[in-house]
Amino acid sequence: MSELQLIETALRRAAQRRRWERAWHGLGRGLLAGAVLWMLALAAFKLFPVPGWLLPAAGVAGVTLALAGLVAGGWRKFSLAEAARWIDDRKHFEERLSTALEVSASSATGEWKNLLLTDAARHAQAVDPRQLLPFGLPLVMRWALLALALSAGLGFVPERRSQAHLRKQQETANIRDAGKHLAELTRQMLVERPPTLAPTEKAMTDTAELGDKFTKATLGRSEAMRDLASLTDKLGEQAKELVQNPALKPLEKAARESGNSGGASPDELQKQIATLQKNLGNGAATADKLDELQKNLQKLQQQASKMPGKDSPAGAAAREQMAQSLGDLARQAKEMGASLPGLEEAISALQANQTDLFLKDLDLAMSDLEKLKDMAKAMQQLQQQAAKLGKDLAEQLKNGQAQAAQQTLQKMLEQLKAGELSREQLQKLMDEVSKAVEPGSQYGKVGEHLKDASKNLQQGQKPDASQNLAAAAKELDKLMQQMQDAQSLQATLDALARAQMAIAMNKSWGECQAGPQGQGKGRGWGHGGKPGSGVGTWAEEDGWTYFNDDGIRWDNSNVQRPDLDPRGHTDRPDDVRDDLVPTKVRGQMSPGGSMPSITLKGVSIKGTSNVKFEEAATAAQTEAQNALNQDQVPRAYQNAVRDYFDDLKK
Amino acid sequence: MSTEAQIASFRQTWQNLRAEIGKVMVGNDAIIEGTLTAILAGGHVLLEGVPGLGKTLLVRTLSEVLELSFNRIQFTPDLMPADILGTNFVVETPDGRREFQFQRGPIFAHIILADEINRATPKTQSAMLEAMQEKQVTAGGELRKLVEPFFVLGTQNPIDQEGTYPLPEAQLDRFFFKLLVGYPSAGELTEVLNRTTENVKVKPGKVLDGPSLIELQSLVRQVPVASHVKDYAVRLVLATHPKTETAAPIASQFLRFGSSPRGGQTLILAGKVRALTQGRFNVSFDDIQAVAAAALRHRLILNFEAEAEGITTDHIIAQVLKDVPKNAEAVRA
Repeated sequence: MSELQLIETALRRAAQRRRWERAWHGLGRGLLAGAVLWMLALAAFKLFPVPGWLLPAAGVAGVTLALAGLVAGGWRKFSLAEAARWIDDRKHFEERLSTALEVSASSATGEWKNLLLTDAARHAQAVDPRQLLPFGLPLVMRWALLALALSAGLGFVPERRSQAHLRKQQETANIRDAGKHLAELTRQMLVERPPTLAPTEKAMTDTAELGDKFTKATLGRSEAMRDLASLTDKLGEQAKELVQNPALKPLEKAARESGNSGGASPDELQKQIATLQKNLGNGAATADKLDELQKNLQKLQQQASKMPGKDSPAGAAAREQMAQSLGDLARQAKEMGASLPGLEEAISALQANQTDLFLKDLDLAMSDLEKLKDMAKAMQQLQQQAAKLGKDLAEQLKNGQAQAAQQTLQKMLEQLKAGELSREQLQKLMDEVSKAVEPGSQYGKVGEHLKDASKNLQQGQKPDASQNLAAAAKELDKLMQQMQDAQSLQATLDALARAQMAIAMNKSWGECQAGPQGQGKGRGWGHGGKPGSGVGTWAEEDGWTYFNDDGIRWDNSNVQRPDLDPRGHTDRPDDVRDDLVPTKVRGQMSPGGSMPSITLKGVSIKGTSNVKFEEAATAAQTEAQNALNQDQVPRAYQNAVRDYFDDLKK
Repeated sequence: MSTEAQIASFRQTWQNLRAEIGKVMVGNDAIIEGTLTAILAGGHVLLEGVPGLGKTLLVRTLSEVLELSFNRIQFTPDLMPADILGTNFVVETPDGRREFQFQRGPIFAHIILADEINRATPKTQSAMLEAMQEKQVTAGGELRKLVEPFFVLGTQNPIDQEGTYPLPEAQLDRFFFKLLVGYPSAGELTEVLNRTTENVKVKPGKVLDGPSLIELQSLVRQVPVASHVKDYAVRLVLATHPKTETAAPIASQFLRFGSSPRGGQTLILAGKVRALTQGRFNVSFDDIQAVAAAALRHRLILNFEAEAEGITTDHIIAQVLKDVPKNAEAVRA
């Protein structure tokens, strides 16, 4: 290898090494920039209300910077001349290598060239790139690692953002959550119980769309409340119109007085009772008897758990006694017709001294007994309902049992159409119809149709009577449909109220759980179209048409009212001038009269509000609405309060 | 003789010269080396220092170690150009005719000691200009070549002293180096006292004759210089040019005029001599930096601000050396 080749080889190796070293340093610089960027973004995220996408964006930018640094550092190739100058500088070769390389590249010949190359080659042999550029953590890389470590530490620091921002974030999340549930619930209702009236369907669709809007759009609390209030008003009006029909009153009343399954027809009730009886055996197994049996079994179960060991004489005696007691219980169950296979198996296990199996079988028997008891109770309830069912059309109409009445009318129609009625039967039918005219008059045109039917029957005009009876049945059906729609509307209003509650109180949908009455079924109308449990809380004159009295569920203690100070606290000092002392003016509790109010004499409190009017108005309206719902406002003034906020809206 | 042998001979001669001068001179190594560097590069030297620091002794010793003719001109205010260059005399020839005959002045020698050069008037000082640059004089309407090798070794007292005339810039620029002679250290002073107050006479030996010196000068000029080293010298010179794009900030602030191209020539030539004396075959950045102060300090003209603040050209050169990077893109024309 010539001296020049020797020099060039050394330079090439050094150039390659330097390129890697530059790439390594570039990575360090990029990493430092990225880490600092990430740290700043994280710090900003912890301290200021920056958008959430900032962190992933900063992360991506940081990684990109690091990679860009690596690429930028290693991008440039080093020429041999550059490498020579660099080594001259690093090794203090006094420009031997660079001069030799330059002179060798020139056309000059002679001794000087040889002397230079020899001298440079001698020095080049001492060049070791690895020693010259040992790979290690450069300073910039250490700083980068420090920045990353700080960032990691910063990750554990709790966020110190303003309460207002956090509240706003929570508000947005709660609005979305409420919207999602509102939309889901309303759509589910639309599928399960499709409304028959177009306006009801439209109202429910609007509600679902409002829910979607909450989910998709970023709405403020006041906007959401305004939209909800507006839709609630609309739906409320619609529900009010729907129930203005006086024909629905007896239906509603009847529904309130009966249970959940009150909507079932007599045939259906009989079918259910028969099924339960079949399961319960010979019918002797009443809920009380089964309850007693259960108590006895529980006692035996407790004794069994404390039973002494089988080897001791006392243990054997206890087992014998236990077996006897269990046998007695099994016999009683058999007599009642209840099947308790677990009990039989428990006795067998006890006799076989299999204690574990015995206890297990005893648990099984207890579970079976519990089920039987529930079935007996259910049957008892059904029997009570069946007993309450009207015996004829008049009673059914009187009791508000619309479905039963409709079935009775259908049967009458079929009898009339069949034309096989004897004189007695016809007379009986006529009597039944005429008797039903009076209670039927509560159901709008039903009474008229029945009256006409009765008249036609008396005149022997069976076809006309049939038509009248069919019209009455149709009218009843229409009323039931209206009731069902009203029920759907009420359920939607409940959902809206819950959404309002969630948004107003800045809580999630789940936190604003409906009361024990249950959502949608609360005030009562199950799928059967009759009020369910909790109907006793209904106001007589309002029915389901407006917000209920479940204000007890409204916990306003956490409500942040930017427009109001906490009650009883004002900024005004105690020692105000006499003309600034508030004077209470006693109002008169008479409709149309002046309302109780507090007025201030003298100058008004100066200053600029930093709360938006709409927000304050919406919050005030919400509070007023709550007060109205909770009957905190005298009835005489309720309309005045509503009018006031309606005027504000205008 | 091969180049390698010539280089070896150069180093040997350098060491011999140092040794012989060292027999007479005490200390002042930088001044001695600077003077020898200038001579080997074929340049003139201006030695500045207060009286009594051995300037004249150095030049005289130098003339003794070199087998070259030596003349000393003591510059005084009444010294006239003709006193330096020579003059025409009317002489009577054997046949009775009268004719002008040129009587050579002291300038006609290999080594000229221009002692206290700044005591002469500018008119007289300027008589040296042509001789120093062109190595010829024009006297009596006739051009006369000076002998080769030709060196002017000027000494001057600090210019703020009484009865001095600052050398014109044109003449200063013709000096290869300006060397500042400082006070000796305690040890050196003791040695000076020992040597000069006892009956000990030291006679330095002859080391180098004229032709050999010319050969060495030729050898110096062959030393290769890498382009980036030349570029560095160029950037150094350009950095001294105030109010230009390439100027160093300090130059723009404190200089009225920067170095002439002769400054660049000096840097390279002196760098070559230094490379050879250090056993190298190429000029390095360090060589350029080592000779920069001596080569440039008399070529930079300070402005009023610098003089008011007591800034010297040496300060400026040191700062320029810091400001100008060694490896950088070549300066475009």
